[in-house]
Formats: sequence, structure tokens, C-alpha cells
Amino acid sequence: MSDPTRSSDTMSDPRADGSIRYSQDMEMEGMWHARILRSPYAHARIRRIDTSAVPEGVVVLTRDDIRDLNRYGCQIRDESVLAMDEVMFVGAPVVAVAAATRRAADEALPLIDVDYDELPAVFTEMEAIAPGAPLVHPRHYISENDAAYFGMRPIDGTNICHRFRIRHGDVDRAFAECDVVVEEVFTTDSAAHVPMEPHASLARWHEGRLEVWSGTQTPFNNRMDLAGIFGLQPEQVRIVCPPMGGSFGAKTFVRTEAIAAALARKTGRPVKVVLDRAEEWQTMNRHPATLWMKIGAMRDGTLVAKHVACWANTGAHADSGPGVAQKMGYASPGPYRIPNVWVDSHCVYTNTPPNGAYRGYGQMQCIWASERLMDMLARRLDMDPYTLRMKNILREGDTYCTGEIMHDVAFEECLRRSAEAIGYHTSDDHAGKGVCVLMKGMQTPSRASIAIEAEDDGTFTIRCATIEMGQGARPAIRQMAAELLGVPMERVTYPDPDTDLVPYDTRTTSSRSTHVMSRALVEAVRDLEKNGKRGVGEVTDKGGLDPDTGQGIASSHWHQGAAGAVVDVDVETGKLHVRHVHASIYAGKVVRRAAAELQNEGSIIMGLGTALFENITFDGGQVTNANLSDYNIPSFHDMPRITHDLVEREGAQVYGLGETALPPIPAAIGNALAASGIHMTALPMTAERVLASIDGGGTVDEARRREMRDIVEAGLHRSEKS
Amino acid sequence: MEGNGPQWLAPTSLDEALGMRAELQEEATVVAGGTFVGVLMNVGFMAPAALLSLRGVPGLSYIRADGELRIGPMTTHRAMELSPDVRRGWPALARAFGEVASPRVRNQATVGGVLADADYASDPPAMFLAMGARAVLRGPKGVREVPIENFILGYYETALAPDELLVEVRVPGGVEAGVYRKFRTRSSEDRPCVSVAAVRRGGELRLAVGAATSTPQYFPDLCAAVGSGTRRAREIGEEYASRIEPISDSRGSAEYRRRVIAVEVRRALEELAYV
Repeated sequence: MSDPTRSSDTMSDPRADGSIRYSQDMEMEGMWHARILRSPYAHARIRRIDTSAVPEGVVVLTRDDIRDLNRYGCQIRDESVLAMDEVMFVGAPVVAVAAATRRAADEALPLIDVDYDELPAVFTEMEAIAPGAPLVHPRHYISENDAAYFGMRPIDGTNICHRFRIRHGDVDRAFAECDVVVEEVFTTDSAAHVPMEPHASLARWHEGRLEVWSGTQTPFNNRMDLAGIFGLQPEQVRIVCPPMGGSFGAKTFVRTEAIAAALARKTGRPVKVVLDRAEEWQTMNRHPATLWMKIGAMRDGTLVAKHVACWANTGAHADSGPGVAQKMGYASPGPYRIPNVWVDSHCVYTNTPPNGAYRGYGQMQCIWASERLMDMLARRLDMDPYTLRMKNILREGDTYCTGEIMHDVAFEECLRRSAEAIGYHTSDDHAGKGVCVLMKGMQTPSRASIAIEAEDDGTFTIRCATIEMGQGARPAIRQMAAELLGVPMERVTYPDPDTDLVPYDTRTTSSRSTHVMSRALVEAVRDLEKNGKRGVGEVTDKGGLDPDTGQGIASSHWHQGAAGAVVDVDVETGKLHVRHVHASIYAGKVVRRAAAELQNEGSIIMGLGTALFENITFDGGQVTNANLSDYNIPSFHDMPRITHDLVEREGAQVYGLGETALPPIPAAIGNALAASGIHMTALPMTAERVLASIDGGGTVDEARRREMRDIVEAGLHRSEKS
Repeated sequence: MEGNGPQWLAPTSLDEALGMRAELQEEATVVAGGTFVGVLMNVGFMAPAALLSLRGVPGLSYIRADGELRIGPMTTHRAMELSPDVRRGWPALARAFGEVASPRVRNQATVGGVLADADYASDPPAMFLAMGARAVLRGPKGVREVPIENFILGYYETALAPDELLVEVRVPGGVEAGVYRKFRTRSSEDRPCVSVAAVRRGGELRLAVGAATSTPQYFPDLCAAVGSGTRRAREIGEEYASRIEPISDSRGSAEYRRRVIAVEVRRALEELAYV
């Protein structure tokens, strides 16, 4: 297999000349192709499956073939390889088939007859927490996968599969002492990751072991879940990860691998699963969320108290939703000194396709709400929103509401740079200009290890589980290794990660890889110098939060950034024109400048899509825009002036920056609208929603706010009792 | 790939194509650039038994400007956008074609295809209507010319008989001023939420609203009232908005479209110096 990272800055890049082999390009002798029959119902009992019309030469996998297999799930064990008694979302895999050609497999699907008894379903997070709502899963079984890395707090008998709290100070007493208190309810819609390459995997059983080639960000988690499903030891499962044509979080944890493996077991052949574009919308999307926030301050702008309650809609399977909800919760206070903070964050089941990791991992949703709220507070105080932020911003050595001491703090510098870049200070009313500052956590706790092997020909081979998905982690790690070894980068190779050959790593997520591997590499090179043949380096970051108090270490390493936006609005149609966006991201030390800049730009572009129009629409749980004509992503002509900077410091560590510039974009744009008197609470900020806000005179719908507060209070009351 | 895909019919002359069309009628789906049929087949919304491709028929791609504009049905959107003749005599028509999707699509999509598909959300039909264009249809019974407002009859429905082919589009000359306003609510590559095409010619105004409902909407009485100066642009916009029954789709609700129609019609008239 060609090395996809070979001189990636030139036209000989295998991604440009077509020689790269993605997961969907994997082929093996005797390989068959799989297709999946999916549920047309959001919630139904499966009465009967009739596959008798399927011709010979097609192997059919139904629930009867997998009764010996165990349930799985990276944080909650709520998935089976195929639907067993019930389907829980439109698109749930019900039957899988394999045949010698993809077309033969395709043609078998309409010959399969499934009878269903429809059951009541629930679609939004707020419907799902209402008393008497239909339960998606009556009980919640915590996973043994090491992706369930924090204290899980599912609430049996409800649709809440995790709740996380911060209890810091006494918010009720503190609000009573505040001069000014503002509150609001914010919402964000679902979004699709839209990687160019769909989900793809190939599985075979070989000498008693399960071998899987898969485009995944999480090889060791998948090894653990697949071993659990098939009753194997983890060492009996081998995962190999070809480079991915994009992922953005969509290719995390077991997605298509279990179906490929079960079909391979039944056929006795290698079986490949490659999803259609439309199936992507039924496989993994971003969490819609409802966030209620209340903040109080003294007349001079000193923040006193903040209370947050949020609900992340995780769909019919928890997947990494509990982690998303927890991160949404712990970052929602924002990078400010606030003596009293309460957070109640919930991960909620609904009968919609699963939602999971998406570039930014819950941070966009909470930053949208918390940074819009800061501008509301500033207006109420008659203060400049920038000044209010600067007055309260976390600085070196400050303590966050989790109790952790903040080090290497750069929020102030990022915010200052973003404001200057958009000319924020050139007018007093800042009309059409907004800023936003953010903190974003990294996977904590985590462990990373890397090995360097010295070959006889003077080259070096890196054994590392970090996956290449277009983010440039492999070239960055190769370059850092070459610099430490004192050899040209061409002499360092980095084969596709293979769990049989690479040392353990938590996973390639949360913008952690370049950071953690930069540290592990130093140890690996030191170790290599000692023994001459193979050097191994490992770093472990301890931490984690108490799920009931939110005290501890949320993040061993905080991603920090800010953004600014300049907009104008067609007030007769609500059409928003973004003129300029700027993001300032703390990089510590830049490894590969061109790649780092592309990460910023890619994040900003995805943030623009989220801010302006990306929105998965549903009708009765069915996605109604599962194609790229009805679901738009930004195109070249949609790009405003985009600028950004990478904030560096002498002697600083390498900071991850693969996601940081996405979460602040919607809030910066929303705040720019607010400066023009247009108050937005829902994402995306479609022309229609902006016009509705203009119609309302920029005021908040008080009836809606009261209704939401009632729901919030009832929801908190119920979760308090549990 | 093996299997039973649609039969591919590739006539090499117009007579042969017309013969196949007359014989197979609705059993064969005519395909020109493939940007419509191809997408629908890929997503499984269409599974024709046969495809009748006009790609191999010579002489169907041309632009002739001689007082009147004559356009061959296989002429691409890109050719319309860039043609010096079209840009000189019918500049708003060239601009409307230049607003469709992306260059990649415009290099493939054809003039005949976009009219025969009668997709409510396409850009060119409203502009052709405002231009007073006529579709030339040919079948066993001969040739007939149908004005665009009588050609597009509903969602994906046209006046084409099952044995006819659209063989030319004719656009009268003498355009004094034209405007095409494409109002998008999402990406710049998106189809319009509402479009307004308006053309002034010899004191006569034709204004059509596209993408708002099944067919482009044209109200001759309102246009006459503008031309004679008896109604103000704002009133005309509001009147168009009240007469049209818009649809709701992912680009906007019916209620929102009404608001936009009133604004965009007024703006189009203002661009044409009607106030």
C-alpha cells in the first residue's frame, strides 16, 4: 500500500494522483459486497421477516443469525448488530445481505418482506423528557468499553442515558444578590458530517481471528466492542485503518464493522460494506440541543452566577452522546471567572438516527448559547460586550468552576486579536460586528503511545494508532519524529495503523493526536537511543470529573480561541450576508504551518454552514433531505473574507487545533446580528428565522421563554429526584 | 457491471431519434445532459426501462442570433452563459443561465433538458417565459410552436406529447432591458427559493416569478398595469405575492416565500426603472 503522507504538499500527493487507497477501495480475493435493509419506521416491533424470495447466491443475515452475539455500544450497551425485537429509528439495520456483486446484493433487498407493528415514537429532546413520553430504551446498561471513561449516570425509566452536573457555589442565593440577571433558551438543529468518502469496512475471519479493515478514528475502541460482540479476547481481533476521505467525527466507534464481521462469519468470506450517500444520514449525525442559560452580574459587569441546563438529542443509540453532553456541560460556563456555577447537562434518547461526535464535540452548541447570552447581558448592563468579556475572562492561574487551575492561558490574546482583525473598535455601536471567545476541552483522561523502529537500511518506521483522515496528523507526526531523530522526513515511514503492530492509544479525536504524540515521541526517541532497535514512548494524562459535582480535571489541556464576524442583513428578506470572519486560535507551537492553516479554514467553513443553513430536516423521524441537493453545505461562492491567526508562544507545547475554529463562528455571527438589534436564539440562522426576529422587533418571544422555563424547571426537578 | 440496467438507445440522427420516440413513447426516458435523469436514477426515484440519449444526434447544439434567437436543445447552460450573441442581445438570459448551480453542472445541463424536465426550482424556465420564448416540438404529426407559459403545465409536466421531442427554443429579439433576480436562502449553488425574471420590450413588460410553485407565474394584466404606469412597483409586488400560492420546501415556507415575492418583484421592477 502506498504511503499517503509522502510529500503531501506537492502534486505527487497520492490524494491528488489517485494512488491513495481509502477504506472503500479495499479489495480481497473472494470478497463479497454487503447491503443493508433498513427500517421504514421510527419505532416498531418486528413481527416477521420473510427472506424466502431471495435467490441463491445471496447470503442473508437476520436476527436469527446473531442471537449468540452480544450487545455493544462505546458508552452505553444499547446496540445489537441488527434490530432484534424492535426498530428504534428510520434507517435502523434490520436485514443485511451479501453477494458476489454490489448489484446482486442491492437487488435482493426489495425481495425481503418484513412485517412491523408500529409503536409510539418521540423525536425531539424536549418531547423525550416529558412525563409519559415513550421510552426508547427502558433500561440503560453501562458499557465496559474504555470509551465509557467517566462516571455514567443513566436514569432508568426515562429517556435520559446520562446526566452530568457542576455544583460550584450556590446559584440561587447568588442570583438574589445580582444587580442584573438575564436568561434565554437556545436551540441548535442537527447537521451532517458529509465526508467525501462514506463509511466503509471490510471484515474476514482468518485462522480463528477477526480481521477488519476500516476507516475509523477509534481502532482500539472498535477492537474492544467487536471482541465483546463475538465473545473474543481483544487480541483475537485485528483492526487495520487505511486513510479516510474525511470523517469529522462520523467514523468513530463501531458503525459498519459489526455487520461486515457477522456477514463474513456466515458466508465464510471477506465481506465489504460501503454505505450509499443517503445512508450516511441514517448512520451518524450531530446532536440537536436545547440549552437554557441564566447569568447574573453586578452593575459593574462582575459575573456572579450562572446556571445552565441542556439536553443533547442523541438519537436511538447513545453512542458517544453521554460524552458529548458532558463536554457540552462542562464548557458551558465559558472562559470566565464565575464564583457560582450550576450545570445540569443531559443526554437524551429519541427515535431518530444516532447522533455522535461531530467536529467540536458539543462545544458549538454550548458556545452558541453561552456567548450569545454574554452579549445579552452586556446590552442589559449597557456595556460593550468585548469589555464585559475582558473584565471576567480567565487569566493565568485562575481557577475554573471545576476547581482546576488554568495554565498557559491565552483567551485574552485570542479575543483581542479577533476583535482587532474585524475592526471591532472602529465604531462605538459595533453595528454588524460581533465577537466570541471559547474554551474547548480535550479527551481526559487519555493515554498515548508510539513506537519507532530503526530499520537496517537506515530508515525508521513509526508504529502509531493515530489515524489519517485528511487532518494531516501523519505528516505532522512524521515531521516531528524526523526532527527529533535528526533525519530527513523521507526516511521516516508511517504505515497504516494496525492494532497487531501499534501500541495502545485512546483514539484519534478531540484534536489530541499531534499534541499527545509530540510528547510521546520525545520519550520514544530517548528510548530508541538506549536500545538502538525499537523505542517506545507513552504519555498518560490523568483527570476526569465527578459526574455529580463536576469537580476535578475537565481537560488536561484546554483548546482556546476566539472569533469575530462582520455581517449585514437584507432587512426585507432576512438574508444574512457575512462579510468577514476571523478566528484566532491558540496553537502554542505550530508544527506544519500550511496544514494548521487549512485546519482553521476548514473549521471556519464548517462553522459557516452550521451558522447559516445546514440543518437535517425530519418528518416523523424520517430524514427528508438525505442528499446533497436538499442538504446544502457551503460552496466556494459562499465564502466571505476569511482570515485567521495561529497564536504562538515561545517555549509553549504543541496544541491541537483541528476543531477549535468551528464552535465560535455561529456565535460570532449571532452577536454581530445582535449588535444590529436582531436577536437570534436558534441555529441555523436561516433567512426565514432572521426575518421572524426582525418582525418581532428584535425582542424575545416572552411566551416561548416562559414555556421553555416551565419545561426546564420540570425537567430539572425530575432529574433531581433520580 | 452486470445486471439489468436500462436499455441504452443512441440514435445518430434526429429522424432516428424521433422514430424511436414515436415507437417507444413513455417506455423510454429521453436523456440529454443527464443532470436530472442521472440524479433521479442514482437516488432510486426513477428506474426507466430504456434511456433515449440525444448525445449522438448531430446538429442539436447551436445558438443562432438573427433578430430572433434560435437555440438547439442540446446547447449547454455554459454555452448560453458565455455566448457573445446571447450576451449582446439577451444579456439577462445569459445571466440567468450563469446563475445555475456550478460550472460543472452548467457544462453538462442542456436547454432542452431544463425545459422538458419542468422542475419547478430551475432557473431558466421563468427567464424564458419572461423573454416570450417558444418551444418548438416535433413529432409524427409535424412541428408546433408552444409559448413557454403553455409548455410548462405543472410539477415535472409539459405539453410534450409522448411521441414528440423538443427540437428548438426560439426567443424574440428587441429586448430593451431584462433582469434576473435569484433569491437563494442557502448555498450559492442552491436552487432559488424565489426567482424573478422580467423583460421590457417595446414598452411591454413580462415578469415571471419562478421556483415558488409548480410553474413560473406570469400575470399579463399586472404587467400591463406597470407598463402603463397605473400601478406602482410596490403594489405589483404585493399583488404577485397575493395571487401566487407558494409551496413550502427546504428552501422556505409558503408564508416566507410570499414575503420574498413581494420584495423581489418590486426590486426587479425598480431595476427596470419602474417605480
